[in-house]
Amino acid sequence: MSREVAVIGSPEFTTGFRLAGVRKCENVPDDEKPTDLDDAVTRTLEDEDVGIVVLRDEDMEYLSRSVREAVETSVEPTLVTLGGGAGSGGLREQIKRAIGIDLMDE
Amino acid sequence: MAQDVKPTRKELMEIDDRIELSERGHDTLEQKRDGLIMEFMDILDQAKDVREQVDENYETAQRKLDLARAMEGDIAVRGAASALDEHPEITIQSKNIMGVVVPQIESSGVKKDLDQRGYGVMGTSARIDEAADAYEELLESIILAAEVETAMKEMLEEIETTKRRVNALEFKLLPELNEAKDYIEQKLEEQEREEIFRLKKIKAKKEEEERAAVEEEAETSGSTTEEPITADD
Repeated sequence: MSREVAVIGSPEFTTGFRLAGVRKCENVPDDEKPTDLDDAVTRTLEDEDVGIVVLRDEDMEYLSRSVREAVETSVEPTLVTLGGGAGSGGLREQIKRAIGIDLMDE
Repeated sequence: MAQDVKPTRKELMEIDDRIELSERGHDTLEQKRDGLIMEFMDILDQAKDVREQVDENYETAQRKLDLARAMEGDIAVRGAASALDEHPEITIQSKNIMGVVVPQIESSGVKKDLDQRGYGVMGTSARIDEAADAYEELLESIILAAEVETAMKEMLEEIETTKRRVNALEFKLLPELNEAKDYIEQKLEEQEREEIFRLKKIKAKKEEEERAAVEEEAETSGSTTEEPITADD
């Protein structure tokens, strides 16, 4: 089954991906992020056509605890955050919990 | 737990079997955990490289998009973005690493030629093409990152589960079983000692009874031999 990439963020963030052909873009302007980002992420997670969700790492701060946990642990679709360096998107914490050492430490 | 078990030989044999099975399971799970960590380390190195590539591509793409916006204007860039009719698609398959099912993502339609983009060559500038190119490259690295990072998540979950099982066996089940075994052994030994003591007591009592019987018999036989004498008197 073929799936698509979805991008969630401000219109400035999503425009570039639309240039690359991404159709599923959720535009949430910066001033509406505290209220609307949760819904946009939940909607995208529920969309069965989406295989990868792209978010900016700073935008993760706007998400409520439950949505953040849901998106970070989700495998289908899987989350890729941009701008957070290695271990972003909750991966670093998961590694620390499972292995016991911070392996993402440079 | 030790108080819940019946101190019988049958129970002791059953516990011995369970200890053997748990120890075997513990060793196997430990080996699995170590193997998973080794596999994870390989993926981790790959993930670090991919992440570096994603960050680098994101920076380049952003710079190129900003440049296109500055030169062509935001509306022209958005207009070109809306004209795209070819969309990237991904197909998710799965592969198995030590019993962990990890995804294998294949993409199609990410890299496009100029004529496939749909916004025309005349109305737009090379800046927009460059930005689109950079974002296509970013998208390719994002897809690779998604594959590697999902594999990492799956493996970490399995490592956590295996670790929890190993710990449960090592620190909960095995100590409890050993405690129960010690309890039964102690009880059985105590029972054995009691039994020996009881047997000794019975033996002593019997011997005493026998001695008493012999004495009584001797007494009675003595009195019967004396009687005629006294009768003679």
